[in-house]
Amino acid sequence: MASVNAQIKRGSAELAVLTLLAEHPLHGYEIAKQIEAQTGGVLRFDMASLYPMLHRLERKSWVKAEWQTLPNGRRRRCYRLTATGRRQIAPLRAEWRAFFHALQSVTGFQNA
Amino acid sequence: MPDWKQIVRKNLRVLGVCSPEFTEELAGHLEDSYEALLCEGVPAEVAFHRTVSQIEGRCRIWLVLRFLQEEFMTGFTRMNGFIRKVALPGLLTTAASGLVGWVLIRANIWPKIILMPNRQFQMFLALWPWWWGMLPLCGALGALLSQRNGGSRLQRIAAATAPGAVIGALLLLEFPVAFIFDGLVNHRWWGSAMWEGLGLLLLQFAVIPAVLLLLGVGVVEKARRMPSRAI
Repeated sequence: MASVNAQIKRGSAELAVLTLLAEHPLHGYEIAKQIEAQTGGVLRFDMASLYPMLHRLERKSWVKAEWQTLPNGRRRRCYRLTATGRRQIAPLRAEWRAFFHALQSVTGFQNA
Repeated sequence: MPDWKQIVRKNLRVLGVCSPEFTEELAGHLEDSYEALLCEGVPAEVAFHRTVSQIEGRCRIWLVLRFLQEEFMTGFTRMNGFIRKVALPGLLTTAASGLVGWVLIRANIWPKIILMPNRQFQMFLALWPWWWGMLPLCGALGALLSQRNGGSRLQRIAAATAPGAVIGALLLLEFPVAFIFDGLVNHRWWGSAMWEGLGLLLLQFAVIPAVLLLLGVGVVEKARRMPSRAI
C-alpha cells in the first residue's frame, strides 16, 4: 500500500478525527486504531501526531475530553465532538473535495 | 504488567511537557497497544519492546517537538488575540484622545488653571473641559473596535481606558526617572510636595480621563443590550 506524504496526512487528520468522533466518543488509542482499520493502514497515526492534534482540537473547543473509568477500573481520556466541532466538518469536507477535484483535473487520475 | 506511567514519565520528563494528566493518557495508549499485541499472540518481551518504541528515540523527539510546536502556536494565537482585541483598539483610542487634545491646543483652547492655595511650592490643577468632554467618544470608539474584533467585556474596558492607563503609567515612571537624572527635578520637591504634584497630574491626565472613557464604554454596553429593531 502506498504511504501518504506527512503533510497531506497532517492536513487530512483533523477531518478524519472529527468525522470519526461525529459517530461516538472515543479515546486516543481507539481513534488511531479505527482510522488505521478504516483506511486499510494508509492513514496511521503515531502518538506524536495524534495527541498534539487532539489537544489542539480541544483548545479550539472542537472536541471535549473527559476522563472515563472503564469496567476494568482503568481510566481513559475520551474525546467527544462538540457542537462547534460538528459545524467544522462540512466546510472541511468541502475544502478537501475541492482540493481533490482540482488535483484530479490537473493529474487526470480517477478514483479506483 | 509494566508500569506505563513510569515509562512515560521517564521518557518525557524533558522540558516539562509531561503533565500528570498527559502522562496518564499516554500510559493508557501504551497499555492498550501492549495488550493488543499480546492478544495477537506476540510474545510479552517483543510486545513490550514494540510498545516502548512508540515513545523512545525518534518518536520521543517528535512527540516533544510537536507538543512544543503546539504550545508555541497556542501562545502565538493568544498573543494575536490580545493584539486584535486590546492592544490595537487601545492604541487607536490613545491616538484619538491625543489627537483631540492636540487639535484643541492648536485651536488655542487651553485648560483652565486653578492655583492650589497655601502650598510651599506653586501647584495647580488644570481643567480640560473640552478635551474631557470628547473622551467618552474616544472610549466608545475603543470599546467598539474591541467589540468588532471579538473582545470580551473586560477587553473592551481595557481597550477603551488605555489612554488613561498609558498616561498614568508614564507619569508614574517619569518621577523616579527624572529624579535619577539630576537637574530635571528640583530635589527640594522630593517629599510630600512631589507626591501632591504627582497626585494632581494623575488626577487630571489619568483618573478623570479614565472615568470619562469608561462613560463611553457604558454607552456601548447599553447599546449592546438594547434589542435590535427590524426596519
